[in-house]
Amino acid sequence: MRLGVVFTGVALIVGALFGVSAVAYVGGAVVESLMLEKLGISGGGHIVQILVSMLLVVMVIATLLTLAERKWSAFMQDRTGPNRARIALPGIKDSPLAGLPHIATDVIKMLTKEAFRPATANKFLFNLAPMLAFAPAFALFAIVPSGPTLDIAIGSYAAKVVMSPTNPDAGLLLMFAVASLAVYGTSLAGWSSNNKFALLGGVRASSQMVSYEVALGLSLVGMMAAFSTVRLAGDDGMAAMQARYLWSFNAGGFDIGLPAWGIFLQPAGFILFFAAAFAETKRAPFDSPEGESEIVGYFLEYSGMQFGLFMISEFVEVVVLSGVLAAIFFGGWSLPFGNEWLTMKLSAISPILTGAVFGTIFWVKVVLLCYLQLVIRWTFPRFRYDQIQTLGWKILLPLGLVNLFVSGALILRDPSLKSLAIVGILEIVAVAMLTLTPPRQVRREQEAASHGGGHGHDDHGHDAHDAHGHAPAAALPAGTAGH
Amino acid sequence: MASADDQYDPTPSDDELEAHLQTRNMVVNLGPSHPATHGTVRLRIELDGETIVSMDPEIGFLHRGFQKSCENVTWTQVLPYTDRLDYVASLANNFGYLSAVESLMGIEIPERAKYIRVIGAELHRIASHLTTIGASGLELGGFSAFLYAIEARELLTDRVTELTGARLTTSYGRIGGINRDLPAGWEEKVLKSLIKLEELLDETDKLLTRNRIFTDRMRGTGVITTEDALDFGFTGPCIRANGVNYDVRKAKPYWAYDQLDFSVPLGNNGDNFDRFYLRVLETHQSLKIIRQCFKQMPAGPVMIDDWRIAMPPKENVYSSIEGVIAHFKLVMEGVPVPVGEIYHATESPNGELGWYLKSDGSGRPYKCHVRAPGFQILSGLSKMCVGRMLPDLIPTFDTINMIGGEVEQ
Repeated sequence: MRLGVVFTGVALIVGALFGVSAVAYVGGAVVESLMLEKLGISGGGHIVQILVSMLLVVMVIATLLTLAERKWSAFMQDRTGPNRARIALPGIKDSPLAGLPHIATDVIKMLTKEAFRPATANKFLFNLAPMLAFAPAFALFAIVPSGPTLDIAIGSYAAKVVMSPTNPDAGLLLMFAVASLAVYGTSLAGWSSNNKFALLGGVRASSQMVSYEVALGLSLVGMMAAFSTVRLAGDDGMAAMQARYLWSFNAGGFDIGLPAWGIFLQPAGFILFFAAAFAETKRAPFDSPEGESEIVGYFLEYSGMQFGLFMISEFVEVVVLSGVLAAIFFGGWSLPFGNEWLTMKLSAISPILTGAVFGTIFWVKVVLLCYLQLVIRWTFPRFRYDQIQTLGWKILLPLGLVNLFVSGALILRDPSLKSLAIVGILEIVAVAMLTLTPPRQVRREQEAASHGGGHGHDDHGHDAHDAHGHAPAAALPAGTAGH
Repeated sequence: MASADDQYDPTPSDDELEAHLQTRNMVVNLGPSHPATHGTVRLRIELDGETIVSMDPEIGFLHRGFQKSCENVTWTQVLPYTDRLDYVASLANNFGYLSAVESLMGIEIPERAKYIRVIGAELHRIASHLTTIGASGLELGGFSAFLYAIEARELLTDRVTELTGARLTTSYGRIGGINRDLPAGWEEKVLKSLIKLEELLDETDKLLTRNRIFTDRMRGTGVITTEDALDFGFTGPCIRANGVNYDVRKAKPYWAYDQLDFSVPLGNNGDNFDRFYLRVLETHQSLKIIRQCFKQMPAGPVMIDDWRIAMPPKENVYSSIEGVIAHFKLVMEGVPVPVGEIYHATESPNGELGWYLKSDGSGRPYKCHVRAPGFQILSGLSKMCVGRMLPDLIPTFDTINMIGGEVEQ
């Protein structure tokens, strides 16, 4: 029963993504050719991509993520999760509908609630901050390609469709530029609301985001060097170039091999980028600007939809980060094996089908990466403000530099990227072994604590005993430790 | 400023021209309603950036005149008030108070009642420690660990409900023993719950102690020196985290603790991690104690056989004049406690729970003062936090486990 529900849900999601991808290709081709014909402007297909991938897919995934976060955290914590909001219609009034009505109630609540502004707040900046927080997060998706570049012909409309909202030459540099704007929203929110806790949150957010920009940029330089491009979309973009194999052999038409995915070429870069980008999204374990048990957060004074913008921008950031990760490190829309075989089979049928299938593969990767981020968010406790700085400047930045030099040397020596991939796989093995090794130090300390506790006189028990000796505690009744 | 007589120096030094930034420290009120203040307490904090310059815990938001209320009711009727002191471990308060009254009267309770008291107190010690352990995760943003611990605590709350009829306000036990024996089948249920609880505790423990972020935030924060801790009068896990071996259960055994085999874990750094991990280890010891109690517990009466102290059985009240008189005297005048005063302490989850009782022989307490362990520890909080960062205060405030109800009586 439950398994059936899960399969239905997965099928629904994949089906929806498939449909959206197909619409994006068809729409892209039609608009592109129409605009070229009637107005003489090329690149009209990007308008469709803005509408479909940014407004539709990213926003819908972000909205559904609010529900997924509740459901998934509930699942991790042995709870039921949202099940109270129901729709009073015959047939479904006794069903929690997997918590879907919660999204509706959430939206209605936020839209109808008073957008309260403290009397002492700076009105202009206070109203500006939520927009400044939301817009850059949203705009980041502009350079992410969600499918291969294909020549589509439907009837008289024929055009080359580039599946990204824009495809500027600056590519990733545009992403860094836009990402660095996000700090204005949060720091202004903290500053303008004239609240001490919000101010602390704003200061924390700005210092965190500014210092992680450096590591963020540095971690991707290896990838840029490997593919000699900063573009993600297009035929010569990073996403398309990852589809080729480093080593491969053909098993009866079906190709198997190691693709040039970023995760294999630059595992260190991936970890650094993921950590730095996670810090940019301000979610746990990097949620000290929010820190709801400490300072409540930079958006403390916001209510209504203004708060809603902060909240939804967090989820949009999650989706965008997943999209960027999928495009840079997980081969974009390509499969790790059988990619050429599938392309061949599909393009024999129809280019639209090819586009829709590979678009679906991309979006499924995005959804899985969103899920990974939810798991991390619900497992880890929060860093302290200064520990975040230490991690950024003393660990991520030097590691990023080392990674850059090592990768640079390897790329210079072997432009086919094969030696880079070998080093990368060795790195993955090393990280896996480190992760799987039980932490010996902690275990020893645990034993010492219980052991020393039991008898109170061996090894470190001495220090405690000495301190006990010349303290006023001598008057305390001498306890018999152990037995 | 240079005076007019001084020779004019055309080349000023650098620091002369420097415009000093006028900075002021920021005063922040953490509480009375703040996510990190369990119970209701206000922490007035002076901040320089994020560093705490000075701190002043302010209590009184939960004050409800406990001591004065006690003077107006009989010795037995004080019992429900004690539920509301440390509401996470009400059985420990109930039994601690009863123990103090019994020592004042100089009576000895039946052996079985002693074991039941140990079981009850240890169950609630586990409940209290689980709350603190889980909340450590919660304060640091690890919400999942908190819910695992609370799920384990919920098992205990259910068992306590079966035993006493209430989840929180237990009011269990009476002067001279226990008012009701253990319910049928309760023992097996508790033992099974403990197995499940141990699993959940291990899971919480692994989720937190093997997490680098968690240990980084707990180790070396909220440190207090042994001298300071002793000066402030710390007791319980907070002093044992400094390596001072003081546990009332061992130092001055009461009830059946001298017949039970358990050890007192000690820390050595006096930081948050030691206070946290000590509670994990103590929980394991408490589990051991409860299992031993069920093995060793003798059969027999649970209430003293003296109608001046214990309620006579109902059939005697209805059928004999002695029963009626005893019942009437107990209800109208209360338990006769001889003139005198006493300080009696038991080990509550948070430390030494002391009772200073004074009787003038009137059947009501003349004075009933509680030495709540949380009060002394809360006064040491500023010593632990001044000079450290604001985020360090949050786990520190959790591991000292201040309970509003007992600090503000």
